[in-house]
Amino acid sequence: MNETGLRELSEKLIGTEIKAELLRLFHMNPGILDTVESIARRIGRLPKDVDPEISTLVELGVLRRERFGELDVVSLNVSKDREVQKKLIALIEGGVKE
Amino acid sequence: MRAPTGISELDAMLHGGLMRGDATLVVGSAGTGKTTLALQYLINGATKFNENGLYVTFEQMPAQIYRDAANFGWDIRKLEAEGKLRVVCTSPPVLAQFVESRNPIDPIIAEINAKRIVIDSISHLESFIPASELRGELYRLVSHLKMKELTSVFTAESHEVFGDHLVVTGVGLSFLVDCIILLRIVEVQSSLKKALTVLKIRGSDHDKQLREFEITSQGIKIGVPFKDLEGVLTGTPRRTTEERFAEAFLKAAGKGK
Repeated sequence: MNETGLRELSEKLIGTEIKAELLRLFHMNPGILDTVESIARRIGRLPKDVDPEISTLVELGVLRRERFGELDVVSLNVSKDREVQKKLIALIEGGVKE
Repeated sequence: MRAPTGISELDAMLHGGLMRGDATLVVGSAGTGKTTLALQYLINGATKFNENGLYVTFEQMPAQIYRDAANFGWDIRKLEAEGKLRVVCTSPPVLAQFVESRNPIDPIIAEINAKRIVIDSISHLESFIPASELRGELYRLVSHLKMKELTSVFTAESHEVFGDHLVVTGVGLSFLVDCIILLRIVEVQSSLKKALTVLKIRGSDHDKQLREFEITSQGIKIGVPFKDLEGVLTGTPRRTTEERFAEAFLKAAGKGK
């Protein structure tokens, strides 16, 4: 159960290179409040590749996407991110115990 | 009512600090210390004057700002954790976005009860907002921050490193702000030095001298005014007439002996 949970969560979180880059970007720069286009530029990727990855992280609750006028503004959901990190740690520790 | 920068010599030049609730433009070419001055204003606000601050950056990533600030002994991450300071990295279209008179940074201003804000740099807005709309958008932003009673500092890049043709900004922002601080690199006796002057403060007198400054391990340190030189702002100062006369007199006196 723990192993499956860990695999699913880690797959959702860092299953692709772009997701890992996004998490690294937001963890190092928690004050980012920006558009998908600009975030894509900041990690040297194209918006069309970054957009679906951001959507997955939004579904997980790690990122927040808010419509502001004509723009979608993305930011880190700090409390939810901490929660997910704790969950991940618990799963890893659970896996080690087994 | 003043908002001291915490840089004692600058506060003396400003006759006590920036006027509370006003907008200030810090203009200078690349490498003159605009970001350092702006950060120091926020750090001092949070640590010495109980005024929380928000730093808005467009191009520079927060991680780089944390690192550069640490070189001056400023722990921004700690101040962020304490809710005294916040670094926001965004792009000009986001900052220029107003919906029902709300701006995307408004919740952060409210969350930390910010009294000071730095926008670094306004020059980036020029690349994203059509020239015909730029002045109006800047006016809206400056006014929005004033209505929130924030004492704001905008940085702007001046493209002229040297020379006697000085354009403060290309969009007439100088008319929208209440105070202008100019940073310049000047050549004095074959050495490059940094110079600072207060060009204007609306509604207040100020020191009009041009002073040398350095970026030290503790931040900006302002020294004495440039003496016996004129034309320093052009980047190529020359000795004053009095100084040249005195030297010629001494030379002549020496020949006469």
